[in-house]
Amino acid sequence: MSTIDTQQLIERLAGDAAPVGRLPAPWVRTALWLALAAVNLLAFVLVMSPRRDLGAAIANPAFITEQLAALATGITAGLAAFASVVPGFDRRALILPLLPLAVWLACVGTGCATSWIRFGPAGLTVTPDWACVPAITLIGLAPAAIIAIMLRRGAPLTPHLTAALGGLAAAGLASFALRLCHAEDASVMVLIWQIGTVALLTAAAAAAGRWVLGWGILTRRGR
Amino acid sequence: MRAAQRGGPCAYAQLLARITPWLRGYIGKERRFLQMADVEDLVQDVLLSLHAVRRTYDPGRPFLPWLLAIVRHRMADAARRHTSRSAGETSPEARQEANSSFPVTSLEAAANMEESAFGDPQALRQAIRALPAGQRVAIDLLKLKEMSLKEAARELGTSVGALKVAAHRGMASLRRALGRKTVKE
Repeated sequence: MSTIDTQQLIERLAGDAAPVGRLPAPWVRTALWLALAAVNLLAFVLVMSPRRDLGAAIANPAFITEQLAALATGITAGLAAFASVVPGFDRRALILPLLPLAVWLACVGTGCATSWIRFGPAGLTVTPDWACVPAITLIGLAPAAIIAIMLRRGAPLTPHLTAALGGLAAAGLASFALRLCHAEDASVMVLIWQIGTVALLTAAAAAAGRWVLGWGILTRRGR
Repeated sequence: MRAAQRGGPCAYAQLLARITPWLRGYIGKERRFLQMADVEDLVQDVLLSLHAVRRTYDPGRPFLPWLLAIVRHRMADAARRHTSRSAGETSPEARQEANSSFPVTSLEAAANMEESAFGDPQALRQAIRALPAGQRVAIDLLKLKEMSLKEAARELGTSVGALKVAAHRGMASLRRALGRKTVKE
Protein backbone atom coordinates (compact mmCIF):
# COMPACT_ATOMS: atom_id res chain seq x y z
CA MET A 1 0.00 0.00 0.00
CA SER A 2 1.22 3.44 -0.71
CA THR A 3 1.24 6.76 1.03
CA ILE A 4 -1.76 7.83 -1.03
CA ASP A 5 -3.79 4.95 0.42
CA THR A 6 -2.82 6.02 3.91
CA GLN A 7 -4.04 9.52 3.19
CA GLN A 8 -7.34 8.09 1.96
CA LEU A 9 -7.55 5.90 5.02
CA ILE A 10 -7.09 8.90 7.31
CA GLU A 11 -9.85 10.75 5.49
CA ARG A 12 -12.17 7.78 5.75
CA LEU A 13 -11.47 7.24 9.43
CA ALA A 14 -11.95 10.94 10.16
CA GLY A 15 -15.25 10.87 8.26
CA ASP A 16 -16.31 7.84 10.27
CA ALA A 17 -15.45 9.47 13.60
CA ALA A 18 -18.80 9.33 15.32
CA PRO A 19 -18.65 10.42 18.93
CA VAL A 20 -17.72 7.54 21.20
CA GLY A 21 -18.50 7.15 24.84
CA ARG A 22 -15.28 7.07 26.76
CA LEU A 23 -14.58 3.80 28.49
CA PRO A 24 -14.84 4.23 32.27
CA ALA A 25 -11.85 3.39 34.44
CA PRO A 26 -11.17 -0.34 34.95
CA TRP A 27 -12.34 -0.33 38.57
CA VAL A 28 -15.64 1.28 37.58
CA ARG A 29 -16.18 -1.37 34.94
CA THR A 30 -15.22 -4.09 37.41
CA ALA A 31 -17.83 -2.78 39.83
CA LEU A 32 -20.43 -2.74 37.08
CA TRP A 33 -19.58 -6.28 36.07
CA LEU A 34 -19.71 -7.41 39.69
CA ALA A 35 -23.12 -5.88 40.13
CA LEU A 36 -24.45 -7.70 37.05
CA ALA A 37 -22.76 -10.96 38.00
CA ALA A 38 -23.99 -10.70 41.60
CA VAL A 39 -27.60 -10.62 40.44
CA ASN A 40 -26.96 -13.80 38.49
CA LEU A 41 -25.15 -15.56 41.27
CA LEU A 42 -27.76 -14.59 43.82
CA ALA A 43 -30.49 -15.96 41.57
CA PHE A 44 -28.52 -19.15 41.21
CA VAL A 45 -27.97 -19.57 44.96
CA LEU A 46 -31.69 -18.99 45.61
CA VAL A 47 -32.75 -21.45 42.94
CA MET A 48 -30.31 -24.11 44.12
CA SER A 49 -31.18 -23.25 47.73
CA PRO A 50 -28.27 -22.58 50.08
CA ARG A 51 -26.75 -25.51 51.93
CA ARG A 52 -28.47 -26.39 55.17
CA ASP A 53 -25.37 -26.06 57.28
CA LEU A 54 -24.57 -22.61 55.92
CA GLY A 55 -24.95 -21.06 59.37
CA ALA A 56 -22.45 -23.48 60.87
CA ALA A 57 -20.12 -23.11 57.90
CA ILE A 58 -20.07 -19.33 58.23
CA ALA A 59 -18.96 -19.70 61.83
CA ASN A 60 -15.94 -21.65 60.61
CA PRO A 61 -13.01 -19.25 60.06
CA ALA A 62 -11.36 -21.59 57.57
CA PHE A 63 -14.50 -21.62 55.42
CA ILE A 64 -14.79 -17.84 55.62
CA THR A 65 -11.14 -17.28 54.70
CA GLU A 66 -11.39 -19.66 51.78
CA GLN A 67 -14.59 -18.09 50.49
CA LEU A 68 -13.24 -14.56 50.85
CA ALA A 69 -10.08 -15.58 49.00
CA ALA A 70 -12.12 -17.12 46.17
CA LEU A 71 -14.26 -14.00 45.95
CA ALA A 72 -11.21 -11.74 46.01
CA THR A 73 -9.58 -13.84 43.29
CA GLY A 74 -12.64 -13.36 41.10
CA ILE A 75 -12.80 -9.62 41.73
CA THR A 76 -9.08 -8.91 41.27
CA ALA A 77 -8.94 -11.11 38.17
CA GLY A 78 -11.82 -9.08 36.76
CA LEU A 79 -10.03 -5.84 37.61
CA ALA A 80 -6.83 -7.07 35.98
CA ALA A 81 -8.77 -8.18 32.89
CA PHE A 82 -10.40 -4.76 32.54
CA ALA A 83 -7.07 -3.02 33.07
CA SER A 84 -5.42 -5.16 30.41
CA VAL A 85 -7.67 -3.87 27.62
CA VAL A 86 -6.57 -0.27 28.12
CA PRO A 87 -3.48 0.58 26.06
CA GLY A 88 -0.61 1.67 28.26
CA PHE A 89 -2.06 0.06 31.39
CA ASP A 90 0.09 -0.50 34.43
CA ARG A 91 1.36 -4.06 34.20
CA ARG A 92 1.42 -4.37 37.95
CA ALA A 93 -2.35 -4.81 37.73
CA LEU A 94 -1.75 -8.24 36.22
CA ILE A 95 -0.18 -9.66 39.38
CA LEU A 96 -3.05 -8.41 41.52
CA PRO A 97 -5.09 -11.66 41.35
CA LEU A 98 -2.06 -13.77 42.28
CA LEU A 99 -2.21 -12.72 45.92
CA PRO A 100 -5.79 -13.83 46.71
CA LEU A 101 -5.27 -16.87 44.48
CA ALA A 102 -2.29 -17.84 46.59
CA VAL A 103 -4.34 -17.38 49.78
CA TRP A 104 -7.14 -19.48 48.28
CA LEU A 105 -4.79 -22.30 47.34
CA ALA A 106 -3.06 -22.05 50.70
CA CYS A 107 -6.41 -22.37 52.51
CA VAL A 108 -7.36 -25.48 50.58
CA GLY A 109 -3.83 -26.84 50.89
CA THR A 110 -3.91 -26.36 54.65
CA GLY A 111 -7.24 -28.16 54.71
CA CYS A 112 -5.70 -31.09 52.82
CA ALA A 113 -2.77 -31.21 55.21
CA THR A 114 -5.05 -31.10 58.25
CA SER A 115 -7.16 -33.99 57.06
CA TRP A 116 -4.00 -35.96 56.23
CA ILE A 117 -2.76 -35.43 59.77
CA ARG A 118 -6.12 -36.27 61.30
CA PHE A 119 -7.23 -39.22 59.17
CA GLY A 120 -4.07 -40.34 57.39
CA PRO A 121 -4.32 -41.36 53.72
CA ALA A 122 -8.07 -41.92 54.11
CA GLY A 123 -8.43 -38.16 54.61
CA LEU A 124 -7.32 -37.58 51.05
CA THR A 125 -9.69 -39.96 49.31
CA VAL A 126 -10.92 -38.50 46.08
CA THR A 127 -14.29 -39.66 44.89
CA PRO A 128 -15.65 -38.68 41.51
CA ASP A 129 -17.71 -35.53 41.76
CA TRP A 130 -18.14 -34.70 38.11
CA ALA A 131 -21.16 -32.55 38.90
CA CYS A 132 -18.73 -29.77 39.89
CA VAL A 133 -17.47 -29.31 36.35
CA PRO A 134 -20.80 -28.54 34.65
CA ALA A 135 -22.06 -26.75 37.77
CA ILE A 136 -19.23 -24.22 37.86
CA THR A 137 -19.34 -23.90 34.10
CA LEU A 138 -23.08 -23.19 34.17
CA ILE A 139 -22.91 -20.77 37.08
CA GLY A 140 -19.94 -19.03 35.52
CA LEU A 141 -21.52 -18.83 32.09
CA ALA A 142 -23.47 -15.61 32.64
CA PRO A 143 -20.65 -13.71 34.42
CA ALA A 144 -18.25 -14.96 31.75
CA ALA A 145 -20.51 -13.83 28.92
CA ILE A 146 -20.97 -10.42 30.53
CA ILE A 147 -17.27 -9.89 31.10
CA ALA A 148 -16.51 -11.07 27.54
CA ILE A 149 -18.92 -8.54 26.07
CA MET A 150 -17.49 -5.81 28.27
CA LEU A 151 -13.88 -6.73 27.47
CA ARG A 152 -14.60 -6.58 23.76
CA ARG A 153 -15.21 -2.88 24.10
CA GLY A 154 -11.55 -2.47 25.00
CA ALA A 155 -8.37 -2.98 23.03
CA PRO A 156 -7.38 -6.65 22.62
CA LEU A 157 -3.73 -6.02 23.41
CA THR A 158 -3.14 -9.35 25.12
CA PRO A 159 -6.11 -11.50 24.04
CA HIS A 160 -5.04 -14.75 25.66
CA LEU A 161 -4.02 -13.20 28.96
CA THR A 162 -7.10 -10.99 29.10
CA ALA A 163 -9.39 -13.92 28.35
CA ALA A 164 -7.64 -16.08 30.94
CA LEU A 165 -8.15 -13.37 33.56
CA GLY A 166 -11.79 -13.01 32.55
CA GLY A 167 -12.23 -16.77 32.76
CA LEU A 168 -10.56 -16.85 36.17
CA ALA A 169 -12.80 -14.01 37.34
CA ALA A 170 -16.00 -15.75 36.26
CA ALA A 171 -14.91 -19.19 37.47
CA GLY A 172 -13.73 -17.77 40.80
CA LEU A 173 -17.10 -16.16 41.44
CA ALA A 174 -18.88 -19.33 40.32
CA SER A 175 -16.83 -21.44 42.67
CA PHE A 176 -17.62 -19.01 45.48
CA ALA A 177 -21.34 -19.32 44.75
CA LEU A 178 -21.21 -23.10 44.45
CA ARG A 179 -19.61 -23.43 47.87
CA LEU A 180 -22.62 -21.65 49.33
CA CYS A 181 -24.93 -24.35 47.98
CA HIS A 182 -22.90 -27.49 47.69
CA ALA A 183 -22.03 -29.12 51.02
CA GLU A 184 -18.66 -30.53 50.13
CA ASP A 185 -16.05 -29.52 52.65
CA ALA A 186 -13.32 -32.10 52.15
CA SER A 187 -10.43 -29.91 51.08
CA VAL A 188 -9.01 -32.42 48.68
CA MET A 189 -12.35 -32.61 46.88
CA VAL A 190 -12.52 -28.84 46.71
CA LEU A 191 -8.97 -28.79 45.40
CA ILE A 192 -9.47 -31.39 42.70
CA TRP A 193 -13.02 -30.72 41.58
CA GLN A 194 -13.65 -27.04 42.24
CA ILE A 195 -10.22 -25.48 41.81
CA GLY A 196 -9.51 -28.02 39.09
CA THR A 197 -12.58 -26.84 37.22
CA VAL A 198 -11.59 -23.20 37.74
CA ALA A 199 -8.16 -23.97 36.29
CA LEU A 200 -9.74 -25.85 33.39
CA LEU A 201 -12.10 -22.98 32.57
CA THR A 202 -9.29 -20.43 32.84
CA ALA A 203 -7.20 -22.47 30.43
CA ALA A 204 -10.14 -22.87 28.04
CA ALA A 205 -10.76 -19.11 28.14
CA ALA A 206 -7.08 -18.45 27.46
CA ALA A 207 -7.17 -20.76 24.47
CA ALA A 208 -10.27 -19.03 23.10
CA GLY A 209 -8.68 -15.61 23.67
CA ARG A 210 -7.88 -14.71 20.11
CA TRP A 211 -11.28 -15.90 18.99
CA VAL A 212 -13.22 -13.83 21.53
CA LEU A 213 -10.94 -10.79 21.53
CA GLY A 214 -9.18 -9.97 18.32
CA TRP A 215 -8.20 -6.99 16.28
CA GLY A 216 -9.78 -8.66 13.29
CA ILE A 217 -13.33 -8.05 14.44
CA LEU A 218 -12.58 -4.49 15.48
CA THR A 219 -10.66 -3.29 12.47
CA ARG A 220 -12.89 -5.02 9.96
CA ARG A 221 -15.72 -3.00 11.34
CA GLY A 222 -13.62 0.10 10.64
CA ARG A 223 -12.59 -0.98 7.16
CA MET B 1 -7.87 12.93 20.76
CA ARG B 2 -10.28 14.44 23.23
CA ALA B 3 -11.99 16.24 20.36
CA ALA B 4 -11.95 13.02 18.36
CA GLN B 5 -13.78 11.17 21.12
CA ARG B 6 -16.41 13.86 21.06
CA GLY B 7 -16.70 13.32 17.33
CA GLY B 8 -14.81 16.23 15.84
CA PRO B 9 -13.82 15.02 12.38
CA CYS B 10 -11.49 17.97 11.74
CA ALA B 11 -9.48 17.59 14.91
CA TYR B 12 -9.35 13.84 14.39
CA ALA B 13 -8.09 14.16 10.81
CA GLN B 14 -5.49 16.62 12.04
CA LEU B 15 -4.38 14.25 14.77
CA LEU B 16 -4.11 11.29 12.39
CA ALA B 17 -2.25 13.35 9.82
CA ARG B 18 0.16 14.51 12.49
CA ILE B 19 0.92 11.12 13.97
CA THR B 20 1.19 9.27 10.63
CA PRO B 21 4.69 10.53 9.70
CA TRP B 22 5.80 9.91 13.25
CA LEU B 23 4.42 6.36 13.10
CA ARG B 24 6.14 5.78 9.79
CA GLY B 25 9.42 6.93 11.29
CA TYR B 26 9.03 4.95 14.48
CA ILE B 27 8.04 1.69 12.78
CA GLY B 28 10.71 2.16 10.14
CA LYS B 29 13.31 2.60 12.86
CA GLU B 30 12.13 -0.38 14.89
CA ARG B 31 11.80 -2.64 11.88
CA ARG B 32 14.69 -1.64 9.69
CA PHE B 33 14.50 -4.83 7.64
CA LEU B 34 10.96 -4.09 6.40
CA GLN B 35 10.21 -2.82 2.92
CA MET B 36 8.56 0.58 2.64
CA ALA B 37 5.26 -1.03 1.63
CA ASP B 38 5.29 -3.26 4.71
CA VAL B 39 5.98 -0.30 6.98
CA GLU B 40 3.05 1.48 5.35
CA ASP B 41 0.87 -1.58 5.94
CA LEU B 42 1.79 -1.49 9.60
CA VAL B 43 1.09 2.25 9.82
CA GLN B 44 -2.38 1.63 8.38
CA ASP B 45 -2.88 -1.28 10.77
CA VAL B 46 -2.09 1.02 13.68
CA LEU B 47 -4.41 3.75 12.39
CA LEU B 48 -7.28 1.28 12.02
CA SER B 49 -6.62 -0.18 15.47
CA LEU B 50 -6.40 3.23 17.07
CA HIS B 51 -9.66 4.16 15.43
CA ALA B 52 -11.33 0.97 16.63
CA VAL B 53 -10.28 1.43 20.26
CA ARG B 54 -10.38 5.21 20.50
CA ARG B 55 -12.86 4.96 23.35
CA THR B 56 -10.21 3.38 25.58
CA TYR B 57 -8.21 6.61 25.68
CA ASP B 58 -8.52 8.43 28.99
CA PRO B 59 -8.15 12.20 28.43
CA GLY B 60 -6.74 12.48 31.93
CA ARG B 61 -3.66 10.53 30.89
CA PRO B 62 -0.88 11.27 28.41
CA PHE B 63 -1.58 10.34 24.80
CA LEU B 64 1.82 9.01 23.76
CA PRO B 65 2.04 5.96 26.06
CA TRP B 66 -1.46 4.99 24.95
CA LEU B 67 -0.48 5.23 21.29
CA LEU B 68 2.84 3.47 21.83
CA ALA B 69 1.15 0.52 23.51
CA ILE B 70 -1.06 0.06 20.45
CA VAL B 71 1.89 0.44 18.08
CA ARG B 72 4.03 -2.08 19.96
CA HIS B 73 1.26 -4.65 20.10
CA ARG B 74 0.39 -4.25 16.45
CA MET B 75 4.04 -4.62 15.53
CA ALA B 76 4.31 -7.77 17.62
CA ASP B 77 1.12 -9.11 16.03
CA ALA B 78 2.49 -8.47 12.57
CA ALA B 79 5.73 -10.21 13.47
CA ARG B 80 3.76 -13.17 14.78
CA ARG B 81 1.67 -13.32 11.62
CA HIS B 82 4.82 -13.24 9.57
CA THR B 83 6.46 -16.03 11.56
CA SER B 84 3.44 -18.29 11.42
CA ARG B 85 3.10 -17.67 7.70
CA SER B 86 6.70 -18.42 6.96
CA ALA B 87 6.99 -21.36 9.34
CA GLY B 88 7.72 -24.42 7.27
CA GLU B 89 8.80 -22.30 4.37
CA THR B 90 12.44 -21.68 3.62
CA SER B 91 13.71 -18.84 1.55
CA PRO B 92 15.05 -19.77 -1.89
CA GLU B 93 18.53 -18.71 -0.77
CA ALA B 94 18.44 -21.00 2.24
CA ARG B 95 17.19 -23.87 0.14
CA GLN B 96 19.91 -23.37 -2.42
CA GLU B 97 22.47 -23.30 0.33
CA ALA B 98 21.16 -26.54 1.78
CA ASN B 99 21.19 -28.19 -1.63
CA SER B 100 24.45 -26.79 -2.83
CA SER B 101 26.15 -30.16 -2.50
CA PHE B 102 23.68 -31.63 -4.98
CA PRO B 103 23.31 -30.53 -8.59
CA VAL B 104 20.11 -28.66 -9.29
CA THR B 105 18.18 -30.69 -11.82
CA SER B 106 15.47 -29.74 -14.24
CA LEU B 107 13.96 -31.20 -17.38
CA GLU B 108 16.03 -29.00 -19.60
CA ALA B 109 19.44 -30.61 -19.89
CA ALA B 110 21.16 -27.27 -20.37
CA ALA B 111 19.60 -25.88 -17.22
CA ASN B 112 21.25 -28.58 -15.18
CA MET B 113 24.70 -27.34 -15.91
CA GLU B 114 25.80 -25.17 -13.09
CA GLU B 115 28.42 -22.97 -14.47
CA SER B 116 30.69 -23.13 -11.48
CA ALA B 117 30.66 -26.90 -11.30
CA PHE B 118 30.65 -27.77 -14.97
CA GLY B 119 32.42 -24.94 -16.64
CA ASP B 120 31.12 -24.05 -20.07
CA PRO B 121 27.88 -25.98 -20.79
CA GLN B 122 28.45 -25.47 -24.50
CA ALA B 123 31.80 -27.22 -24.31
CA LEU B 124 30.26 -30.08 -22.36
CA ARG B 125 27.54 -30.51 -24.96
CA GLN B 126 30.13 -30.59 -27.71
CA ALA B 127 32.22 -33.10 -25.80
CA ILE B 128 29.20 -35.34 -25.38
CA ARG B 129 28.44 -35.08 -29.08
CA ALA B 130 32.00 -36.08 -29.89
CA LEU B 131 31.77 -39.32 -27.89
CA PRO B 132 31.50 -42.68 -29.64
CA ALA B 133 27.84 -43.65 -30.20
CA GLY B 134 27.63 -46.30 -27.44
CA GLN B 135 29.12 -44.03 -24.77
CA ARG B 136 27.07 -41.05 -25.90
CA VAL B 137 23.79 -42.94 -25.61
CA ALA B 138 24.79 -44.30 -22.22
CA ILE B 139 25.62 -40.82 -20.89
CA ASP B 140 22.46 -39.43 -22.41
CA LEU B 141 20.14 -41.97 -20.83
CA LEU B 142 21.86 -42.42 -17.49
CA LYS B 143 23.17 -38.96 -16.72
CA LEU B 144 21.01 -36.53 -18.63
CA LYS B 145 17.67 -38.35 -18.67
CA GLU B 146 18.46 -39.86 -15.26
CA MET B 147 17.18 -43.32 -16.09
CA SER B 148 18.11 -46.22 -13.87
CA LEU B 149 20.59 -48.78 -15.16
CA LYS B 150 17.80 -51.33 -15.62
CA GLU B 151 15.56 -48.95 -17.58
CA ALA B 152 18.39 -47.81 -19.82
CA ALA B 153 19.55 -51.39 -20.43
CA ARG B 154 16.03 -52.38 -21.43
CA GLU B 155 15.76 -49.36 -23.73
CA LEU B 156 19.04 -50.17 -25.48
CA GLY B 157 18.63 -53.93 -25.41
CA THR B 158 22.04 -54.45 -23.76
CA SER B 159 23.09 -55.86 -20.43
CA VAL B 160 23.45 -53.72 -17.31
CA GLY B 161 27.15 -54.55 -17.14
CA ALA B 162 27.83 -53.39 -20.68
CA LEU B 163 25.96 -50.16 -20.00
CA LYS B 164 27.97 -49.50 -16.86
CA VAL B 165 31.20 -49.92 -18.77
CA ALA B 166 30.01 -47.62 -21.55
CA ALA B 167 28.92 -44.95 -19.08
CA HIS B 168 32.20 -45.17 -17.16
CA ARG B 169 34.23 -44.87 -20.35
CA GLY B 170 32.04 -42.00 -21.48
CA MET B 171 32.63 -40.08 -18.24
CA ALA B 172 36.37 -40.72 -18.55
CA SER B 173 36.44 -39.40 -22.10
CA LEU B 174 34.43 -36.34 -21.07
CA ARG B 175 36.85 -35.66 -18.26
CA ARG B 176 39.73 -35.86 -20.68
CA ALA B 177 37.95 -33.77 -23.30
CA LEU B 178 37.13 -30.99 -20.87
CA GLY B 179 40.58 -31.10 -19.33
CA ARG B 180 39.14 -31.22 -15.85
CA LYS B 181 39.60 -33.74 -13.15
CA THR B 182 36.15 -33.48 -11.65
CA VAL B 183 33.10 -34.04 -13.71
CA LYS B 184 30.47 -35.13 -11.29
CA GLU B 185 29.15 -38.59 -11.89
